[in-house]
Amino acid sequence: MAKTHFRKAQEQRILKLTLRFILSASLITLVLWGFYSILEQNYIFRWGLALQHLDSFNKGLMLTLQASGLGLVLALSLGLIVALLRLSPFALFRDMGTLYVHSLRNIPFIVFVLFMYFGFARAVLPRPYPNITLLGWDIDDRLFWGALALGLFEASFMSEIFRSGIQSIHKTQIEASRSLGMSYAQSMRYVVLPQAFRVIIPPLTGEIIALIKESALLLAIAVNELTLTAKTISGQRPLQFEFYTILASYYLTMTVPISILSHYLEQRFNIHRRRS
Amino acid sequence: MNSRVLRYFLWMTFRFTLAAAVLITIVGSIFWGIGSTYSLEWDKALKFLSWYNKGILVTIELFIFSAIIALSLGLIVALLRLVPFAPVRDLAGLYIHIFRNLPALVVLLLFFFGLGQVIDIQSFSIFGRNYGRIFIWSVIAFGVYESSYLAEIFRAGIQSVHKTQIEAAQSLGMGYFQTMGYVILPQAFRVILPPMTGIMVALVKETALVYLVGGVGDLTYQVRQLAIPSRPYVFEFYTILAAYYLSIVIPMSLLSQWLESRLGISKARRQVVD
Amino acid sequence: MISIKGVQKWFGRLHVLKGIDMNIAEGEVLVLIGASGSGKSTLLRCMNGLEKIQEGHISVDGLDIQASKTNLNKVRQEIGIVFQQFNLFPHMTVLKNITISPTKVKGISKSDAHITAEKLLERIGIPEKANVYPDQLSGGQQQRVAIARALAMNPKVMLFDEPTSALDPEMIKEVLDLMRELAKENMTMVVVTHEMGFAREVADRIAFMDDGVIVELGTPQQFFENPQHDRTRQFIHKVLQA
Repeated sequence: MAKTHFRKAQEQRILKLTLRFILSASLITLVLWGFYSILEQNYIFRWGLALQHLDSFNKGLMLTLQASGLGLVLALSLGLIVALLRLSPFALFRDMGTLYVHSLRNIPFIVFVLFMYFGFARAVLPRPYPNITLLGWDIDDRLFWGALALGLFEASFMSEIFRSGIQSIHKTQIEASRSLGMSYAQSMRYVVLPQAFRVIIPPLTGEIIALIKESALLLAIAVNELTLTAKTISGQRPLQFEFYTILASYYLTMTVPISILSHYLEQRFNIHRRRS
Repeated sequence: MNSRVLRYFLWMTFRFTLAAAVLITIVGSIFWGIGSTYSLEWDKALKFLSWYNKGILVTIELFIFSAIIALSLGLIVALLRLVPFAPVRDLAGLYIHIFRNLPALVVLLLFFFGLGQVIDIQSFSIFGRNYGRIFIWSVIAFGVYESSYLAEIFRAGIQSVHKTQIEAAQSLGMGYFQTMGYVILPQAFRVILPPMTGIMVALVKETALVYLVGGVGDLTYQVRQLAIPSRPYVFEFYTILAAYYLSIVIPMSLLSQWLESRLGISKARRQVVD
Repeated sequence: MISIKGVQKWFGRLHVLKGIDMNIAEGEVLVLIGASGSGKSTLLRCMNGLEKIQEGHISVDGLDIQASKTNLNKVRQEIGIVFQQFNLFPHMTVLKNITISPTKVKGISKSDAHITAEKLLERIGIPEKANVYPDQLSGGQQQRVAIARALAMNPKVMLFDEPTSALDPEMIKEVLDLMRELAKENMTMVVVTHEMGFAREVADRIAFMDDGVIVELGTPQQFFENPQHDRTRQFIHKVLQA
């Protein structure tokens, strides 16, 4: 009796999941479709026309990726340095790190971009403004300052993630590995870093999403990335709703996979932690 | 004041002044070393403080309205995420994941140029004050955007309350809303407060984006108007702007820390389970 | 008062209640005993709908527990339950813990609820603790407040789910004494407990559960002195030795 009941329960579970999927999909479709048809009564969507501009979007995407990539490299390396500063035994270094982190975290990124470009690069640096070459790659100076601002700003967030990751590893772990005869480097490599990595990775992926999202603000200093592209072409043709929807889907294609990955990693690491 | 507290305060001030001085010297020497001829004229820039003071009020207004929308929407979505009917949970999940993964600016553009064309709202009056299109759509966009973060925070907070508390409330005959209102939410608040403060700070910062769709006279907009070639104190202007944002955000963080430490007392009051 | 018919319950693949039939009369004190994992706590929790049953029926005072949600909320006002871990609301004072449900669920006026609460606090012997928070009380005091909280709803039935298991030995007596008094006042009670002395002295009937079934149901005298089943004998032998 128990067995048949169990089999019945299992069949019911599969049925339930299928039903849930169908119901969810139809509910979501229904809500979106209802919303769309309400909009359609007041607005004529011309998707065909809007989609002709995908080339411009793709160009914008390249710049968004370049800015985010440069910014990410800078943010990761500077973030690590600042994290180490904040963990240093010298109060002066710690305070410098603290000041850096807290003054950047608490101002809007757009203000920082404007400050870096108009308040600093354009105003303070001597003219003429040269293009910057990095490893044989000519970087437009707007892109350079934009990516620099992005990197400096995100470094303040990254450093906090690194710091808490490193601090989360208990001293006893180092003691234990050292007492097993491991060298400092070995205990770092086999014991401390794998554990710190686990703590760092989920929030880090979240921060990468934030960085990509922030790169949209480089439009304020006329970097021709995705958002500025959308803004420019919607000035030329009155298809703003369509253009901005396409813009949104471009961002979602970049960020949603990262967020799914982050979710997956978080769960995996959680299981590991539970097992240990 | 207690002399020990005073001494500590002075010592910290000294430490941070020193650290700031060293930081500024390093950054300054790098860039002035390149050969800049820019001269700082703080006295001239500071004459325009009244512009900032006007702007900060608008920024705070933007913040308050979007916070109200974000908090109420966030709570509704969080509760939808917890209903027993799975499709509704999935719908709420879709809402959360779409808005979390878009730049705030893109959400603003979508609402202002997209929905704003379809739904005709010209103005809105409350408490004898009148707000225009840009203000309304910005507030809605930021409210919706941050509600997606708040919903997850609320949900986690609600789920952090032990299941036995729900059982106890139900056994006393309380219904869903009574259980939520009297038992779950007050206890969840402790868990919710710190991340919620983070979202509120983010909201203040987001209001800076409004100038990109026309502006309503908030802080950043004001400085964009100030910084024209005939007033070449741009470095000073943007530095002051940053200071103004810090002056809103830092008190918020302090308030939250104070609340947290107050609530820490009630944390100790927590029933010992096991 | 409580009627249980053909109750079956599964947790996933685990069959925890395998056909329970029982009637509990008004004013009766029924003690459920059995080893851990025998299903006694689950059965108790089914009686106020905290756990759902897959087959069978449970009704309390003529109201079917499984029938509907409104029914359930209504029935629950008639059934008080006391948990092993007290489950007081940690963010409310003792007084608030006791008055919240009468005022918000039953709509009793605040002043009336206060009077009732003060009487109950008097009765459980800690009138001076009305305005403290649960964590400032000892375990025994917390459990007595939990009983008072349930009594404040003026229930027809009281369920006790191992009310003394989480208590230090010196505090067990104060809680059992309170339960004894309730029994004397003809409260209908179902008690899951390991306190054999209490069962012997207070119970009208004892139900012994093992592996999801009621093995033996009878008076304390029958149960302790003349058990019918091997499993019961073994159990009694074990607990009396311990």
